[in-house]
Amino acid sequence: MSSTGTVGLGILLLFILLMLAFASLGRRWESTFRELPGLDALGNAIERAVESGKRVHLSLGTGSVSGTDSAPALAGLALLKRIAAITSMSDKPVVATTGDGAMALLAQDSLRTAYSDVGAKDRFESISGRMLGPTPYSYVATLPTMLDTEDVSVHLMVGSFGAESGLAADFGDRQHAMVLAGTDDVQSQALLYATAKYPLVGEEVFAVGAYLDVSPLHKASLRAQDVVRYLVVGAILAGALLHTLGIGL
Amino acid sequence: MKLGAYVIWAAVATATGLFVLLGYFFQLDLLLGLRLLLIQWAVLLAAGALFLGLFNLLSVHWTKVSLQEGGWPYSAVLILMFLVTLVLGLLFGPDYQGVMLLFRYVQLPVESSLLALLAVSLTLAGFRMLSRRRDLASLVFLGAAFLTLLGTAPWPVGADSSLALLVGDMRAWMSQVVAAGGARGILLGVALGAITTGLRVLLASDRPYGD
Repeated sequence: MSSTGTVGLGILLLFILLMLAFASLGRRWESTFRELPGLDALGNAIERAVESGKRVHLSLGTGSVSGTDSAPALAGLALLKRIAAITSMSDKPVVATTGDGAMALLAQDSLRTAYSDVGAKDRFESISGRMLGPTPYSYVATLPTMLDTEDVSVHLMVGSFGAESGLAADFGDRQHAMVLAGTDDVQSQALLYATAKYPLVGEEVFAVGAYLDVSPLHKASLRAQDVVRYLVVGAILAGALLHTLGIGL
Repeated sequence: MKLGAYVIWAAVATATGLFVLLGYFFQLDLLLGLRLLLIQWAVLLAAGALFLGLFNLLSVHWTKVSLQEGGWPYSAVLILMFLVTLVLGLLFGPDYQGVMLLFRYVQLPVESSLLALLAVSLTLAGFRMLSRRRDLASLVFLGAAFLTLLGTAPWPVGADSSLALLVGDMRAWMSQVVAAGGARGILLGVALGAITTGLRVLLASDRPYGD
């Protein structure tokens, strides 16, 4: 095994240990999160949508399950289960859309499980998890009609997006919906910062589950990330210092 | 019964993920072969899922047309064009001139128009952002965007002036030093978030495949 592989495997094992340790400590050691306006407003927005008979829409992006960009959509699927449970009693339960066929199947499975868990199996409809279009722009071209006909008042975007994210967020804004959007791509984050009312910057898109209390491991993940982040920053600073002093590694 | 099924799915997903992951770290022939095989299966399954996704797309729009829900004429056009493209592609192949015409004169212009629309949407969003979030970060964001535009776009007059050169240098410094540094910081956070998300699936805490 190469030295890079050893370091990589070491970091993964460290992550697993930290996550499990923080998850077991979680009950005794309460988490405190920094304020994120979008996630603070999300609970009330979903509540209003349920009470007023409007729909919550979760976009899982245009990335594929088998691609390297699947992580934010996986975070979105965990969020989908939580929102499905919250909106299960609504006249119009949550709708999830994606640009990938496999992701649409996963969305349907997540919805089926979520409704089954809260004893509302009859709320599940296979068209609640749907593929809108197989390419990024065909996906975004169908969004305005979907947002309008489904009477969406909360438009969430948690997945992998490219430049089409700017239009996807803008269409939600034109629908006067609450738009909360985050992705993994840096350029798309800049677009979302301008177009979405509540943009999620950087790794905030992966923190949604912890804020909405999806599971103890979500909160533990945030703590583990913080520890590893400090270690990585320390290593970068140490490397820069050693390089400046002319000491090679 | 339900618990049994959930344990089996979780075990299969975890084992598959572990084999693929370990194949990246240990250069063993058995692991490498297994990793390759599992990835090939995943690609095949994803292709199969595309068909199911398209069927799902059709059923959504078919329901809208049959129930005459709001926007049903759009759904009818989508179904019609879907079937025309599918039949032409199946009968004559994807390189058939009729299929190419549909791509060249329908899909390509529509997608290009949407890209052009993005420029207009972003400009409007910039103004809207000022009224919505009047904070320092938004002002810096808009100032940086304006400076980048000024430094990148061709100047109709005074392109060789010292002001134009100064703006160009400022843009280059900003994109190569400030923006690159910031982007690396963001990417570091994204990578850490992606790792924990993947590990949660691997540990069967998040089960997107259902219970």
